[in-house]
Amino acid sequence: MNLKRIFKRSETFVLLIIIAFSVFVTIKNPAFLTLDNLFDLLRSSSGTAILGIGIFLVLISGGVDVSSTTIAIVTQYVSITLMIRSGIDSMWFLFGLSAFIGIVLGAINAFFVSLLKVPTLIVTLGTSSLYHGIMLEFFGTRSVNIGSLPESVKSFGKINILTLTRADGSTYGLSIFFVILIALLIITYVILKYTVIGRSVYAIGGNLEAAKRAGFNTRKTHFFVYTYAGLLAGIMGVIHLSLIRYSNPNYIVGTELGVIAAVVLGGARISGGTGTLTGTMLGIILITILEKNLIMMGLSTYWQQLFIGVVLILGVSITYLQAKFQQSGKTIIATEEE
Amino acid sequence: MADVFLEAKNISKTFVGVKALDNVDLTISKGEIHCLIGENGSGKSTLIKVIGGIHKADSGTISIEGNLLSGKDAIESIRSGVQIIYQDLSLFPNLTVAENISINDMLESNQQVVNWKKMRETAKRALSEIGEDIDIDERVENLSVAKKQIIAISRALTQNAKLIIMDEATSAITSEEVKHLFSIILKLKERGIATLFVSHKLGEVFEIAENISILRDGKLLGVYPSHELNEERLAYIMTGLNLKFEPYTYESDKFSQTPLLEVKNLAKGGQYKDINFQVRPGEIVGIIGLIGSGRTEVVESIFGIDQPDSGSISVEGTEVSIKNPRDAMRHGIAFLPEDRLTQGLFDVQSIGNNIVITVIRNFLKRSKLLDLPKKRTCEHEWVEKLSIKTPTPNNPANSLSGGNQQRVVIAKWLATDPKVFILDGPTIGIDIGSKHTIHEIIRDLARQGMGIVIISDEAQEILDNCNRVIVMSKGTIIKEFADSRDVDADHLLDIVARRVEIGVDA
Repeated sequence: MNLKRIFKRSETFVLLIIIAFSVFVTIKNPAFLTLDNLFDLLRSSSGTAILGIGIFLVLISGGVDVSSTTIAIVTQYVSITLMIRSGIDSMWFLFGLSAFIGIVLGAINAFFVSLLKVPTLIVTLGTSSLYHGIMLEFFGTRSVNIGSLPESVKSFGKINILTLTRADGSTYGLSIFFVILIALLIITYVILKYTVIGRSVYAIGGNLEAAKRAGFNTRKTHFFVYTYAGLLAGIMGVIHLSLIRYSNPNYIVGTELGVIAAVVLGGARISGGTGTLTGTMLGIILITILEKNLIMMGLSTYWQQLFIGVVLILGVSITYLQAKFQQSGKTIIATEEE
Repeated sequence: MADVFLEAKNISKTFVGVKALDNVDLTISKGEIHCLIGENGSGKSTLIKVIGGIHKADSGTISIEGNLLSGKDAIESIRSGVQIIYQDLSLFPNLTVAENISINDMLESNQQVVNWKKMRETAKRALSEIGEDIDIDERVENLSVAKKQIIAISRALTQNAKLIIMDEATSAITSEEVKHLFSIILKLKERGIATLFVSHKLGEVFEIAENISILRDGKLLGVYPSHELNEERLAYIMTGLNLKFEPYTYESDKFSQTPLLEVKNLAKGGQYKDINFQVRPGEIVGIIGLIGSGRTEVVESIFGIDQPDSGSISVEGTEVSIKNPRDAMRHGIAFLPEDRLTQGLFDVQSIGNNIVITVIRNFLKRSKLLDLPKKRTCEHEWVEKLSIKTPTPNNPANSLSGGNQQRVVIAKWLATDPKVFILDGPTIGIDIGSKHTIHEIIRDLARQGMGIVIISDEAQEILDNCNRVIVMSKGTIIKEFADSRDVDADHLLDIVARRVEIGVDA
């Protein structure tokens, strides 16, 4: 039954692939395994990782959320537009506004999922189109470029909590984005592991009917899951903005499958109930370094898309395969014990 | 009666014009093991839901230890010590044993923070109360059904259960595991905890129940001390029919002695080996063995679902090569799988379509289009022959009761005009009246010269219907009774469970 064990620990798999891949890339390009490059990777992928936490949470609860990227861009674009119009030059204001919009949009998802009992994939497909359409119609389609960005946004993206100097005298450092990611990881971990609402997320993902019978308020759980995912998407929207210092209302949308693939790769079962935050982060790391190094390996970026497709299909098949292996692996004839 | 725990009086409940319960009484004493028996649709589930506070009775009263329940919500019943373990067990497959056992306790305590240490202690305590030792860190999805049941019982104990209601508790576990379950129930009894078994099946419950309440069509037919009942009498009370169990007799002189089916040295790595047996015309051969004894695997190989590694299969004296079910059907073998819902029936399709699916090619006209009138005639013919209870074969198969669904699956195979018919668990989950009808159908087929193989883990079913019995264990045939009259049910079960020494080498 070793096979079963290995399948259970997809984290181990992913970690091994990351190590193998890193070794391979480093041989081709020694600059890969430097602190400089590592910090740069962390800075540019923290946003994706935050989005991944939200998608992970929804998967655990037994749903699939394809609207989180849309929520991220909507919160980003709407809140920066409002910030510029209001003239309030404060990151707190931007974060607060963005988080608020994210929570509201998440609550709308939760409403459809828990009260109308529509399948989550359909709900989030529908709402993502709805949210994006509303934004494009009522808040405009023009990009916000660096010239019109408030000062606080531009400087926020440059904050490093640890600064080091390169040989040529220029500096690099560990971005504040990473600190936000770590903080959110810890908060999410504690909620999932040590609070009743956190356990209820696992419970409804494992057996919704049993969760109701046990006395969980499953509506409350659904609202928690989707508003939390919305909140995370809101935070991601702001981070993304201060990273690229540009807001295009068509950015981020369309990358959701990649993030879902990363989370599934990290061991979260698409059928719900099972998965770890560690696995989720490993999945994100793997997808990110693959993405950044495809060209260096002499492959076109289309391979990324192909790879995501393969991961998703495998991820969906794995629950089925597990059941199948358990069956065909059964041994009936006794070994010489009697 | 000072020691009465639960007293339900004159309970009536109507659902959209259908009287589900009609003036039903039920009394359970402290520590009593009671059994509630009734066919599907007799009102058993409604009654336990009324007791559990999930449905409110239209009239009647329920009191627990002398206190009248309002019947408004489930919490009231739970607080009074009533725990219902549904057939699906309501466990969380993705969570650990510890969490599954103590989850209700955690929710009851109304805290927002999880105390893992306390959770593990609660789980350990509950398990030790019934003397069980299960790794509390294992995920529930990796456990057997029997173990899952123990988890569900332990969870009930954390809620200070005084009455545990178990819905169809013995239907998905082996007879060994049933014995173990009963030993747990007896331990609960010692502690004054009553158990109410709810079942549609006779058999095991006799061993343990003190009193048996019988429901039919929402009415209580009576409460009997279990020693006053036997299967025949219970069957009579339940169905109102005098169902006589008369063993099937094989009249060897009426038929040819050339075996219809002969299996020689069949083996498949890891699943079964040295399988030899014959089925002659007019014979009903029973294969009995525990779940996992290899019995299903052997017949699946004969039907071409999973090919054997070695050995031969002969039909009417000629060796045949069966690579897939189509080959098997061509050679006149029909197979009724164990799980009719997932393997035997297209449940949203019409009854008629289900019946003719195996022979649909026979209705093709020269134009390669279906001859619908001919198809319809065939459908009606089978519905009539097997007395399938439906106004029309056009109704969907899932509109039928379990017993009638099984008849549809049987009809579907009979339509292929088989020589050998293999039936795996032909009466699983079927109520007693239909069970009898299905047994009659099978016997009739044998009397007309068909060779029948029945697989079952019910010793009585095998002995009543088969003239020859094969016992399988761990992938081999450990015993064969050429005449089923040479053995009784208890002895047969002992052999199945390998509790007795048998002269045959395993």
